[in-house]
Amino acid sequence: MSEPMGEPAIEPALTPPLTPGQIRGRRQWPLPKQADPAAPLLQVRNLQTYFKLGSGWVKAVDDVSFGLTDGEALGLVGESGCGKTTTALSLVRLLPTNGRIRGGSVELFGIDLVAKSDLALQRYRWREISIIFQGAMNALNPVIQVRRQIAEPIRYRLGQSEAASQKRAEELLDLVGIPSRRLGAYPHELSGGMRQRAMIAMALACDPAIVIGDEPTTALDAMVQAQILQLLEQLRRELGLSLILITHDLSVVAETCDRVLVMYAGRVAEEGPVARVFTEPRHPYTRKLLGAFPNIRSDRRTLETIPGEPPNLLNPPPGCRFAPRCPQVMPVCTEVVPPEAVFADGVRVACHLYETPVHETPA
Amino acid sequence: MSATISVASARSQRWRLRGTRLRTFAARYSGRKDGMLGLVVLAAFTVLALAPDLFVGPLETATRATAHAFDAPSAQHFFGADDLGRDMLNRTVHGARISMTIGLLATVITLVFGVVVGLVAGYSGGLVDNVLMRVADFFLVLPTFVLALILAPVLIEVVGADAEFLGIRATLLVIVVVIGITSWAATARIIRSQTLSLKQRMFVDRARVVGVGPGRIILRHILPNVVNLIVANAVLTFATAVLTETTLSFIGLGDPFQPSWGQILNGAQSSGAAGLGAWWMIAPPAASVVLVILAFTLMGNALDDLLNPKARTRQ
Amino acid sequence: MTELLRLTGLEVHFPVRGSVLDALRRRPRRVVRAVDGIDLAIERGEVLALVGESGSGKTTTGRVIVKLTSQTTGSIVFDGQDVSRLWGTRRLRDYRRRVQCIFQDPYETLDPKQTIHDFVGEPLEVNHVGSGAVERETMIMGSLEAAGLRPAADFAFRYPHELSGGQRQRAVIAGALVLNPQLVVADEPVSMLDVSIRTELLRLMLDLRRERDLTYLFITHDLSLAWVIADRIAVMYLGKIMELGPAEQIISAPRHPYTAALVSVAPSPEPPAAGERAKRTILVGETPDAAAIPPGCRFHTRCPLVFDRCRTDEPPLIDVGAGQSAACWLAEPGPGTAR
Repeated sequence: MSEPMGEPAIEPALTPPLTPGQIRGRRQWPLPKQADPAAPLLQVRNLQTYFKLGSGWVKAVDDVSFGLTDGEALGLVGESGCGKTTTALSLVRLLPTNGRIRGGSVELFGIDLVAKSDLALQRYRWREISIIFQGAMNALNPVIQVRRQIAEPIRYRLGQSEAASQKRAEELLDLVGIPSRRLGAYPHELSGGMRQRAMIAMALACDPAIVIGDEPTTALDAMVQAQILQLLEQLRRELGLSLILITHDLSVVAETCDRVLVMYAGRVAEEGPVARVFTEPRHPYTRKLLGAFPNIRSDRRTLETIPGEPPNLLNPPPGCRFAPRCPQVMPVCTEVVPPEAVFADGVRVACHLYETPVHETPA
Repeated sequence: MSATISVASARSQRWRLRGTRLRTFAARYSGRKDGMLGLVVLAAFTVLALAPDLFVGPLETATRATAHAFDAPSAQHFFGADDLGRDMLNRTVHGARISMTIGLLATVITLVFGVVVGLVAGYSGGLVDNVLMRVADFFLVLPTFVLALILAPVLIEVVGADAEFLGIRATLLVIVVVIGITSWAATARIIRSQTLSLKQRMFVDRARVVGVGPGRIILRHILPNVVNLIVANAVLTFATAVLTETTLSFIGLGDPFQPSWGQILNGAQSSGAAGLGAWWMIAPPAASVVLVILAFTLMGNALDDLLNPKARTRQ
Repeated sequence: MTELLRLTGLEVHFPVRGSVLDALRRRPRRVVRAVDGIDLAIERGEVLALVGESGSGKTTTGRVIVKLTSQTTGSIVFDGQDVSRLWGTRRLRDYRRRVQCIFQDPYETLDPKQTIHDFVGEPLEVNHVGSGAVERETMIMGSLEAAGLRPAADFAFRYPHELSGGQRQRAVIAGALVLNPQLVVADEPVSMLDVSIRTELLRLMLDLRRERDLTYLFITHDLSLAWVIADRIAVMYLGKIMELGPAEQIISAPRHPYTAALVSVAPSPEPPAAGERAKRTILVGETPDAAAIPPGCRFHTRCPLVFDRCRTDEPPLIDVGAGQSAACWLAEPGPGTAR
């Protein structure tokens, strides 16, 4: 065959990923003053975020713990209303007015962000933790040129000069693959894929420690989605991006992430390396979820269904929240909240099926 | 037969649902302090307007006057008396009847024209929309006062000066017609723009696919979805109508035999009440106008907040 | 199998409103060719998936079939009857009873001021189906139960906002089925729903097909979804069908480079093995503007296998056997094949 098969995908072997030490080393801005250089990048412990609704509290996120190390990509997956977006937005407390963090801690470089006042937290928003929003059209201001919008956080969050921030914005747009002739474009003049690229450039503007992607490819066509995922992969390798990806699309996680956190009804169902969890799911919910995903590389018409609907989080069932829909439900499931069982391959599962074997204590 | 029962139950269910919707709306409305204040004030004026004779006796005329000219407020005449010795309280209460009836009629005209034109123009689109909206534009720019001045003699000539309609004499009818003519276009524009956006919604497409004709789509699918807008708009239109009526009567287009608030103010002005320091001839009708308009505006805003689905999600 | 619906030479063009400046310069009015020459037959009882990215014209094709948009040229023959020129509520009544649709967003498809009962009952009322209130009531409740809203009485008198996403889409399905149609055009019926609810609805649609002898035109942007539900798949690009054939063959042996690229990037929850990524064909750039369709093969600007002929001659749908055909010069048999 003489013709090349399109643009070759990024070959992982070509650019080895950066090590955690290199990632902190290439930061252009110093760590926050209180930062503990030896602390892990992010450690979330027993996070509880509730929403006030009429008479009661909706337990949107209930006792969720996870960590993220430098250069790692974590996928938060689950169905709508499972609390994945709320978990991620709780990190920088970008919650609706009726939302409250009722407990737990969020430690970035060992600094607890939950204890910070709103004003003190400002320093971390966008500068340390930035977000790629789902609807780029809504997240971008329609009457301001894309380049200026990207320069804005550089100028105001980092205090750079007008010229320097404009120049940096141009570099970023080049990095995400927006041709230089489109620099002066307004959001509506860009296609959906280009807008999402601009959104990514904006998230990278302050060289943040963590980028949160909130369904970054959901509204895009298959081919454009593949292009954006390719870009994220490339950025991870070149910049050592630490990524938290919120999505309902398991294929996006399989494609982009190192580890995956499966949430159901505000709780962690299963967490572990993508390669382990997706090939050998242990929680019945994870199994069902994977089985329900249409996959042209497996058998046709053997799709799993999950009868019933997720519980109302104003008044969740006691015990395991998946129990009412679980095919392997046992009497204990409806009464006792399942503890987390940790396996040797780094997977932890909150399910009574795995209670008996003695595993290592959670890290 | 179970099917027969279910037909009956379908009917009763429908009524039950309507009842529940009304009750929940009432509960939400009663939670609005401003809206409730407006409602109470308006209810009071409505009671006065419905049966003025019950509270202050029949309308006093020059021959039936009970006080002396320019009497100041006293125990017998709370609001004093005017230049012909007529009790101001009596006249103000009777004025409520005239002012509010005119407001109501003008609102009905405005809504009927505005809603029909808005729905038809918005749903039809194309040439029909263009023609109707150019007509609306024409009425939108007509100056109310000039129109009233020109229309008054014409209309009186046509219907005759003694003609009556719902107890309203021809001269006042001019005011009703003028307010209707000048304000329907604004309503039509609002309804049209809402119709345009509703027409794009999937449920209208779906109705077309199952074979629903345009008339039924407008009546069953578009209209119920603009009712909120119509109610909120009606209340605000009513307030404007009362104000316009007052102004037109004040500049002399009213009927001296049917004292609306504007007409009373006009009388006070021409008898030189302001110069004589007879403030009581001006204050009662003026305060009434202000109170009624304020009440309507409060209600209108409360209704707008409660009925507008976009505003609701903001809460 | 016999043919239920045939589209011949279907074209739908929309004029673009130019700026005042364009009008002053007397530039010709631009035309978006949303659908640009489609020939397609749907067999009785099959599920045909129409797959394409946004701007491929798949939704417009569906809207033309359900008579929401008028075609510029071309004909629509349904069950032997030419319905291309049929318009107006009354003249379309018979067709409307036999061809129904399910839209993407169930919340948008349901009138917020209408109960589920009235939503399902309206088609019966306006088409004068059923001999009276009793019979209609039975049909409404039967349809709700068939769509999985059981017991129907619990759901019938609710408003759309009182239902969950899955229940809403079931109500939409009930509303489409109440007329007992032969053809259902389903435009992305499950793309707004969560994965677990999605499979239940797909299964429901397939069960209903068996029970009621339905034929589906399933419009989607998701190739793997099409593969799960469809008997045949038609792949659209910029208003034209690029490839058409049995679902398994389209996935396992695509003959058009565009289909091949779509198959290679199709989402899968299996973590890619090392080296597998390199086999993927991620097309560069974006779908061209439908108002400026490239000459020759419309895919040639992004095709990894492009050669000279593609730039000048537009390939027809070439039969490659086993019911599969591809609009690509590479599919042409005999000498002169570029391979």
